[in-house]
Amino acid sequence: MKGSKASMTMNKNKGTWYLMKKNYAAYLFLLPKLVLFTTFIAIPVVWAFILSFQEYKIMGGNDWVWLANYTDVFKSEAFKKALMNTTIYTLVTVPFNVITALIAASLIHSLGRFAQSFFRAAFYLPTVASMVIIAMVWRWMYNYEFGLFNYVIGWFGFESVNWLGQSNTALWAIIIMQMLIPFGVGIILYLASMSSISESLYEAATIDGANAFQKWVKITIPMLKPSTVYLVLLSTIGSFQVFTQIILMTGGGPGYATETIVHLIYKTGFRDFEFGLAAAQSVVLFFIILVISIIQYRALRHDE
Amino acid sequence: MKGKTNFFTLLMMVVLIGLLTACSNDSSNTNEDGEWTGKITIWDGPRWAQEGDDSGEDGEGNKYFWLEEKIEEFEAEHEGVEIELVQVPWAELPDKLGVNIAGQSWPDIAPVDISGSAVSIEHIEQGVIESVDEFFTEEELADFYDNALEAYTHEDKLYGVPNSITVHSMLLNLDLFEEAGVTPPENGEWTWEEFVDAAEQLTFDRDGDGETDVYGFSTYILEGYYEAWPFFYINGGQPLSDDLSEFTFDDPEAIEAIQQLADLKLEKEVAPVSMGGADVGGTFQAWANEEQRTVAMQPWATWAITAAQTSYPTNFMVANYPTGSTGEPVTLGGVGGWTMFHQEDEGKKAVVAEFIKHISSTDEQYRMSKEYGVFPALISAAEMDPYADNPEMARALEMSEQVVMLPRHTEWKKIDEVIQRELQLVFNGEKTAAEAMEAAKPEVESLLE
Repeated sequence: MKGSKASMTMNKNKGTWYLMKKNYAAYLFLLPKLVLFTTFIAIPVVWAFILSFQEYKIMGGNDWVWLANYTDVFKSEAFKKALMNTTIYTLVTVPFNVITALIAASLIHSLGRFAQSFFRAAFYLPTVASMVIIAMVWRWMYNYEFGLFNYVIGWFGFESVNWLGQSNTALWAIIIMQMLIPFGVGIILYLASMSSISESLYEAATIDGANAFQKWVKITIPMLKPSTVYLVLLSTIGSFQVFTQIILMTGGGPGYATETIVHLIYKTGFRDFEFGLAAAQSVVLFFIILVISIIQYRALRHDE
Repeated sequence: MKGKTNFFTLLMMVVLIGLLTACSNDSSNTNEDGEWTGKITIWDGPRWAQEGDDSGEDGEGNKYFWLEEKIEEFEAEHEGVEIELVQVPWAELPDKLGVNIAGQSWPDIAPVDISGSAVSIEHIEQGVIESVDEFFTEEELADFYDNALEAYTHEDKLYGVPNSITVHSMLLNLDLFEEAGVTPPENGEWTWEEFVDAAEQLTFDRDGDGETDVYGFSTYILEGYYEAWPFFYINGGQPLSDDLSEFTFDDPEAIEAIQQLADLKLEKEVAPVSMGGADVGGTFQAWANEEQRTVAMQPWATWAITAAQTSYPTNFMVANYPTGSTGEPVTLGGVGGWTMFHQEDEGKKAVVAEFIKHISSTDEQYRMSKEYGVFPALISAAEMDPYADNPEMARALEMSEQVVMLPRHTEWKKIDEVIQRELQLVFNGEKTAAEAMEAAKPEVESLLE
C-alpha cells in the first residue's frame, strides 16, 4: 500500500514536471510578472512579517525581540486612537460612497447615450486627479480665514469654524471631504454591471405592475450584489489605508484627533526608524483588514 | 531542442548583464598617486540665485549655482573625482533622507544636523554617520563657535561640519505699527506686558465693518518647529531638566508662560483663530504676503529675514522675544552644517571630507551669510562683518547670545511629538496648559526612562 502511494506521488510529480516542460512557453511568459511579484510583493511581505519580531538596526544585525513589538502595538495609546479614528472613517465613508455610487449610477443609466458619457467622465475625473492636489484644494476650502466653507456659512449668519484645527471637527472634515469626492470607480463599475442585467426581468416586472422604484429595489440592487461586494471590500481596504489626506491636511492633529493607522506606521518607520514596530503595526493592520474582508464577504454573499 | 537551448542561453546572458550592470554602479579606483577617484553624491536644497538670474519656471533663477560652482572647482583640482548634486527641496529633505537611510542608499554628504530632524544620535550610534575629527586640526576647530561644534558633537566626537547658525527672532511689520500708532520697542527690547500692550493696539478693524482685519500676533505649533517655544522659556521654564531625567514643562513657570501665550488668542483675542494650528506656510503668508499682511508680529527663524528683504519685501524690524519674570531675553537657535554618511573606503572618506571643508571655508561661510540669511559658524567669517549693510541681520546676530539649545535626547523626536500635540490642544482651547502638560508628563517620562 505504501509502495503504491509512493508510486502515485512519483507519477504525480512526474506529471507536474511533464506539464511544466510541455507548457514551458506559458511559464516563460509568466516569468517576468512572477519575478516582479516575488521581488516587490511576496518577499517584502514575508520580510515585513519576519521584521515584526525583530528590533531593526540600520547597519544590519537585527535583534530578535519576538512578541515585544506586538505588545508595544497593543499597549500604545497612539495606536488605539489611530485604530478608532480609522474605524470611524471607514464606517462612515464606505457605506456612504457605495450607496451614493449606486444611486448616481442608477440615475446616469437612465439617461441618453451622450449624457451618460458626459456624467461618466465627470464622475470619474476626480479618481484620476492626484489625492495630493485634491487634499491641498480642500485644505484651502477649510481655511479659517479665507476658506470657501466659512465664506458660505457666513452668508447664513453662522460663525466661522476652525475645521481642521479643532479635535471635534478635524476628523469629520476629512470624512466629509472623502464623502464629497465622487466614487468614480464605483459608478463606472455599477454602470457596467447594470448594462448586463437582462431587460426581460424589467419587462416581466412591468407586466406584474411594478413601478420604477420597486424594479430598482427588487431587480437592480440584487442583480448588482457581486459588484457591491467587490466595491465594499475595495473601499474598506482603501479606507483602512487612508494616508495622503492626513499627512497633507492635519499631520494627524490636533492632538491625535486625525491620527490614522497608516500615518502612524509611516511615522514609526520613517521618522523614528523603528521598522520592527512599524512592521508589527502593518501586520496587525493586515489581519484587521483580512478579518473585516472575510466578514463582509460572507455577510454580503451568504444567500447566494 | 537547439532552439530551446539558445533561448535559455540568451535569457541567462540578459540576467547576467543586468546583474553586472547593477553591481557596477558605484565603481571607484585609486589613481597612481594613491588618491581615491570615483563618484561622490551630495544632496542640497535651494539656496540663492545670482543677481539678475530669473531663469526657471518660477523665474526665481538657479538656486543651486553656488554649489555647482564649488563642485566644478573641486573636480578641476581632483582629477577622476565626480560629484553628483541631487537637488532636494528643503521641505522634502527630512522625509527623503529618512527613506534613503532606511534603504541604506544615503548620499555621501547632506546638509542636516544631528538634532533629530532627519538624522539623530541613534544614527550615530548605529554607524550611519561618520566622525570627521581626524580631518580637522586643533587650530581649525578653534575657529568654530563653541555652540556650533557642540551641536555636532556626540560623546566627544564631531559628526559634521557646522556651516551656519540660525536664531529665532520676532519680526515686526512697521507699516502696521505706524497704521495703528504703536511705537516699536526701543532696540527691539521689551517686556511681556509691553508686548501684550502692543499686540492689543495692533489688533484693529480697518474698514469699520465690525470684523477684525489685523491681529497683533500669531504663530503655529507643529512637531519639529520651535518658533513659539522661546515664549515658554521666558519665566524660566524648560521642557526637560538639565540632566534630561525629568519632564519639567509642567513646572509653574512653564505652565504660566504657555497659558499666557495661548490666552492671547483665547482670552485677549489679539491673535487669529488659526494661531496654534499646524499651517506653517499660511502663518508666514499672513505676515509677509503683500495681499494679506493680517498679522503685525510673528516669530521666525533667520531665513524669514532674508525672505522679507527679497521675495516678500516688507518694512520690518527684528526684535527680541519679550522678557518674562526672569528679566532675561531668551531665544532658541539651530546649527546647520554638512554631515558625512557611512563610508566603506577610507580613501573616499578623505576626499569627501576634503570637499566638505572646501564648501565650509571662511570665504564660503562669509558668502553664505551675506547671500543666504544665516550666521556663520566660523569666527573668522563673522569677523569679516557680513552684515555691515544689513542692520536686521546684524540685530538678529546680537540675539545669538540669548540662545538656549533644545535638549539633546535620543528620544527627542517622540518627546517633541507628545509635547507639541498637547500644545496644539492648549492653543485651540480644548485643554488648559496645566491639563495638557499633566497629560504629556507620563508619556514623556516613559520615553526618558
